[in-house]
Amino acid sequence: MFLANAQETSTKAVTKQPAQSKPKTEAAKPAIQEVRPDSIKTDRYGLRLGVDLYKLTRGLYDKNYKGIEVNGDFRLTKKYYLAAELGFEDKTTDDVRLNSSATGTYIKGGFDYNMYQNWLDMENLITIGMRGGFSTFSQQLNSYKIYNPNPYWGEQPAIIDGQKYTGLTAGWIEVTGGVKAKIFNNVFVGFGVQLKLLVMNQKPSGFDNLYIPGFNRTYDGSFGIGFNYTVSYFIPLYKKKTIIPVLTKPAPKK
Amino acid sequence: MKKIISLLLIFTFGLSSCEKDDICDANTPTTPRLVISFFESRTPLVPKNVINLKVVGKDSPDGKGIVFNTSGDDTTKYLTNANKISIPLKTDADSTTYSFIYDSGNTNPAAVNTDVITFYYTRQNVYVSRACGFKTIFTLNPSSTDPVSNPFIQTDPAGDGIWMTRLILQTYNIDSENEAHIKVYF
Repeated sequence: MFLANAQETSTKAVTKQPAQSKPKTEAAKPAIQEVRPDSIKTDRYGLRLGVDLYKLTRGLYDKNYKGIEVNGDFRLTKKYYLAAELGFEDKTTDDVRLNSSATGTYIKGGFDYNMYQNWLDMENLITIGMRGGFSTFSQQLNSYKIYNPNPYWGEQPAIIDGQKYTGLTAGWIEVTGGVKAKIFNNVFVGFGVQLKLLVMNQKPSGFDNLYIPGFNRTYDGSFGIGFNYTVSYFIPLYKKKTIIPVLTKPAPKK
Repeated sequence: MKKIISLLLIFTFGLSSCEKDDICDANTPTTPRLVISFFESRTPLVPKNVINLKVVGKDSPDGKGIVFNTSGDDTTKYLTNANKISIPLKTDADSTTYSFIYDSGNTNPAAVNTDVITFYYTRQNVYVSRACGFKTIFTLNPSSTDPVSNPFIQTDPAGDGIWMTRLILQTYNIDSENEAHIKVYF
């Protein structure tokens, strides 16, 4: 019994010792890291230019679609990027009762905010951002069907129309979310989704804008969605040295 | 940052509130029918119910009458005893001819009376929505003698006299089914 007691107390004493020593090492750590050269990081600033592969390849398997989008961003600060997209789309929409084609160009501009904390010299991005978009386009009504809830005289076949509505414009804002990863050297691949809100939509008289280049298909409300898959190349222009402030700041307070 | 996230949330809520727009809603006004209401000829303000009226389109695809009563059997579903009927006009031609058979199916042939009316009109196709496509609205031809033009012509090929003694046009424009386009007195 005595032996056992003695053993217990002795082990307690042993375990206490490393516990007491722990704060000492913690306090010492920041002091060491302040001097370490690892905490100074060089960020590369430059222009990234890319193309939307989703739009580009869709024309290969979807005969109703032709489109291209080039995109670019320029790093403004550590977290913020100026971003813009420029594109062309030619899309034939085949609905149950309507067949129409929309052709036109669009431009989008805004910013991306990088939420991703990169380690060392990594340059990956997880971004959220905003854009303003504007499109000028034309629409052609290819054919339509008459909706008759009382088809006593039989269902009428689709009527070929061919009416073209030109000089149409639309404007929208979008919230974007995306990921870009550096795969090698200065080449990045990424994908993104966009939620869009139509703010200006000049509809043709006697018809509607069923598809707006850059905005994609329209819904009953003014919302829209989009998706892109990009490959881009980064052109470095200059470098900035940044000291990682996270660990050095709390040290003087303690 | 927080502003952007809240904006994102507003967007997603907005998206989820979007209605499905692939199916044409039955409440959407589309191609209207011609609405005819019946009145008592001696007291013109009193609506009058017809008796077993059957309306058959000339050269209709199935040769049968307009279905007024979907729950009826092969005979009764083509008959109506209401004071208001709606009949579809052809959307691919500028005239439609109907036979209005009063008291159809009566075993006494003398009680049955058939009037034939041809409606003349112009058509216009109007965009409705993505799901519904277009609708056709009609304008009945004006009444004039030079050039000869009539909104409708009533004939009696059966030779049993006319039962619709007076037809009064309420409006030339058939763009909705809200109100009667033609009032019939008998």
